[in-house]
Amino acid sequence: MTTPSSLPAPSPPLPIDDVSAGAIVDAMVPLAGIPMAPEWRGTVITAVQATAAAAALLLDFPLDDTVEPAPVFRA
Amino acid sequence: MTNETAAGIAAAVAAGRLTAGDAVETALARIAARDPGLNAFTGVTAERARARAAAIDAERAAGRSVGPLAGVPFAVKNLFDVAGLPTRAGSKINRERAPAARDGALVRRLEAAGAVLVGALNMGEYAYDFTGENAHDGPSRNPHDPARMTGGSSGGSGGAVAAGMVPLALGSDTNGSIRVPSAFCGTFGLKPTFGRLSRAGSFPFVGSFDHLGPLARSVADLALSYDAMQGADPDDPWQAPRPIEPVADALVQGTTSLRIAVAGGYFARGGEADCFTAVRLAAEALGAHRTVEIPEAARARAAAFIITAAEAAGLHLDRLRTRPGDYDPAVRDRLIAGTTIPAAWVHRAQRFRSWYRERVLALFDEVDVILAPCTPCRALRISQATMELDGLTVPARPNIGIFTQPISFIGLPVVAVPVRVGGGLPLAVQVIAAPWREDLALRVAGALEAAGVGAAPTAE
Repeated sequence: MTTPSSLPAPSPPLPIDDVSAGAIVDAMVPLAGIPMAPEWRGTVITAVQATAAAAALLLDFPLDDTVEPAPVFRA
Repeated sequence: MTNETAAGIAAAVAAGRLTAGDAVETALARIAARDPGLNAFTGVTAERARARAAAIDAERAAGRSVGPLAGVPFAVKNLFDVAGLPTRAGSKINRERAPAARDGALVRRLEAAGAVLVGALNMGEYAYDFTGENAHDGPSRNPHDPARMTGGSSGGSGGAVAAGMVPLALGSDTNGSIRVPSAFCGTFGLKPTFGRLSRAGSFPFVGSFDHLGPLARSVADLALSYDAMQGADPDDPWQAPRPIEPVADALVQGTTSLRIAVAGGYFARGGEADCFTAVRLAAEALGAHRTVEIPEAARARAAAFIITAAEAAGLHLDRLRTRPGDYDPAVRDRLIAGTTIPAAWVHRAQRFRSWYRERVLALFDEVDVILAPCTPCRALRISQATMELDGLTVPARPNIGIFTQPISFIGLPVVAVPVRVGGGLPLAVQVIAAPWREDLALRVAGALEAAGVGAAPTAE
């Protein structure tokens, strides 16, 4: 399989600007079925940006494929 | 009796110098006098407490054993089930729930040991909070300065203990919610190992990180209550299969055989200077000269942040869909944002947690106990939205927990030890041990208390 030459390089989740975070909120919150008042949108966007900042730190750290998630289920 | 410890009350009741009834009346009077200005309690169970105290006094009069916590008044964060009360968990929505049919597991265990529940305590809504503020019940206020926050989310627990309304309170700690109020209010607090104490009969926040534990004004009281709460509970599927490992008798063993280090790097910057002075004072008192680096603590905090937001959003999804307007706005908007988190990030965070756990546990091959600051600042003003850290203005709410989150992230046992630096408001030091070694953390905390470095005087 070849990589299309038009594929952009992987981008870090940060910085995520207000417009991008707003687009995420506008798409995902209705998907979750949550009615959101317009006056809440700004703080929700700020929280999405904070989460993306945390994710940037996390995703920037390599983990071997053999590292299992912490929670362990026992049947 | 406002400075009396749980151990002191229990000893006096056992010896017949004090009745449980008198101990409870003293607590109720203290609550009536002090709580109007501090807002720690959301419910006082006076009738129940008097009946329970009378039963204990009758037992003693009949010559029967009354338990190691006989007559000790205690109160619980209002996310613990209390029979007859709706478990509100700091929310408006939950107070419409049916009253709890029975007490939560830890309430039952404390009462089985002779303690007497006197009420339920204020908290940040659904425990998603480091301030102790609450849009529905009003802020819990710091007994050392009522214009300042208690810290949260177990704000009422910190306030009630620090003000001498009760010698013992229970709280929950997901990312720091026992340790932060302990620091801001100047109480001792114990966050046991993840999975040690039953969570049955408490309202959840983040199943991956939720812990329950005590706050008190002495290390012996933490140990006494912790011992009474240990034990297997089939009602809690997250509880680890551990035997009861009592710690109260271990406190006298001292610390000379223990290898104690100070956490460097991440835990030595990003806070007010006095927070690190508190750690230095503790280290000097213990003769601890070594420094260890807890690896990737900033990423640990980031991973805890993501898992918290995602799990909490999942827990609250139905309520967010049907009653979003009934939440505290400061909580609601973060919960809504949590519904947008990609599952891949959560998975990655849980994998990082495994990596981090392995690296941090390796440190305990070299040391027994690690000291770290509890908070990056003293109690902030109520409603304070930002604070200065290292010359930067940062949002207050999320940053209060920067030093606690990387520790609870992997469930290590911690005792918060209150330390006064320069006569100002309290601060606290985290005394951190390897999993299941609450005994070591409590021994070190006890040594700091004995040395006069750690102390939790009642705020008058």
